Amino acid sequence: MRFPTDENVIVGLERADDAGVYRVSEELALIQTVDFFTPVVDDPYAFGQIAAANALSDVYAMGGVPKTAMNLVAFPVREMDLAVLRAILQGGIDKLREAEVVLIGGHSVEDKELKYGLSVTGFVHPRRVLTKKNLRPGDRLVLTKPLGTGIVNTAIKAGLAAPGLVERVTRTMAELNRRAAEQLGRFRVHACTDVTGFGLLGHLAEMVAGSGASVRLAARAVPVFPEALDFARMGLIPAGAHRNREFREAMVEFGEGVPRDMQDVLFDPQTSGGLLISLPAEEVEPLCGRIRDQGGTAQEIGEVTADPGERIRVA
Amino acid sequence: MKEIDARGLACPAPVLHTRATLQQERAEAVRVLVDNAASQENVRRYLESEGFETRLERAGEDYVVVGRCGKAAPPAAQPEPAPAKPAPAAEPSRKILVLCGADRLGRGDDELGRRLMANFVKTLKEMGPDLWRLVFVNNGVKLTIDASEVLEDLKGYEAAGLKILVCGTCLNHFGLLERKRVGETTNMLDIVTAMQLADKVISV
Repeated sequence: MRFPTDENVIVGLERADDAGVYRVSEELALIQTVDFFTPVVDDPYAFGQIAAANALSDVYAMGGVPKTAMNLVAFPVREMDLAVLRAILQGGIDKLREAEVVLIGGHSVEDKELKYGLSVTGFVHPRRVLTKKNLRPGDRLVLTKPLGTGIVNTAIKAGLAAPGLVERVTRTMAELNRRAAEQLGRFRVHACTDVTGFGLLGHLAEMVAGSGASVRLAARAVPVFPEALDFARMGLIPAGAHRNREFREAMVEFGEGVPRDMQDVLFDPQTSGGLLISLPAEEVEPLCGRIRDQGGTAQEIGEVTADPGERIRVA
Repeated sequence: MKEIDARGLACPAPVLHTRATLQQERAEAVRVLVDNAASQENVRRYLESEGFETRLERAGEDYVVVGRCGKAAPPAAQPEPAPAKPAPAAEPSRKILVLCGADRLGRGDDELGRRLMANFVKTLKEMGPDLWRLVFVNNGVKLTIDASEVLEDLKGYEAAGLKILVCGTCLNHFGLLERKRVGETTNMLDIVTAMQLADKVISV
């Protein structure tokens, strides 16, 4: 399919990056993104927060600052109490307020299945756009949220997750990627994306494909919800994780020491996951230190190697 | 052989269906029917986690997992009040979290304290499966680096399934991030949450 375009499109559909970027002037480009989904947690307020954090994340992943947002709502007006909708919208608004983003509109339709999300617009300097496509040999990879939310959500559906875990995972999904994103401008970040539906290895594969480089991942260094490993072992794995594996298996080599449950977590689809950042080795500690000082998670999980085979080796 | 038909069910229902059936009747052999490869893999994983030996088959459009209770297998899921957390091989009767805030035990003589701490770490295994989390903060993180005299003991614990949490801010503070050799680098939120989940916290 051919898409209409013009010379001011910095990142368009062909690139399939986290968001579109359009140059307005020499100093300013707009980042635009939209995302919505069906509920991932039972608590409507938390769902609203998670949906907003998730939609904002694409702007952060492009190196931008989100400015405005619009709601997208599909709601079964006849079957569901409007108080549910109010709670969802309140969750979204509170997240936007935390991110210092204004809500300037929205649209709702009646639908049998509840859905909520947002369209978000952000600003970025045209020369400071971060994309997935610039891994450099010698770079290190940093991840800013623990993995396993898809598997844990499956366990929640199964009624097997302890309340404390539900709360921890909900808090992680609702956490803005802002703390990490605000630090990126201080460092020579070469590439960045956010980890969502394709899982860590799926999104990493997008970065590696076409880069002419390869990646070595240290499975033991990857932050995970420990319970996700237990649930994976007992087969509580979302279908998406199997699909992600099938799709990218050919690029990935697992060392013998990487247990199957860890492999599943590495392919686990994430809701509102963390940022995956590629930057020079000497900048890893200062970046991670700053993010942790702000109360965030940041962990070095691997490195980019010069091997032109575009492989992901997990040890 | 017990037949379980889990066709038409979406994840995680086939696993739950299998689990519920095994909890009601302690079958030695089961044949689980599902309608997609992902569910087949999930059911296989579940049965293996319960000590079954498994075999995968196709039956026309459907997918089949055949499971037989292995020799050294744990009993196939005793009836238990649902919902419960997944049971690892040896379910601890209670969860003890040990928080090490220093690389020495007690105050007074530092050299003595260092030896006592090494001995303490080595002796922790006497807690058995009740020992649930081992958390290192502040100077304690030095016990997890390459030069630690209890490194091998800690690696042994970790290999045996103990979750060891090491404070990332502390490692960073001492410039030891690269030298950590055991445990999972973590943040304060994880530590606080682990404390909340623990039945007992022992701080040394």
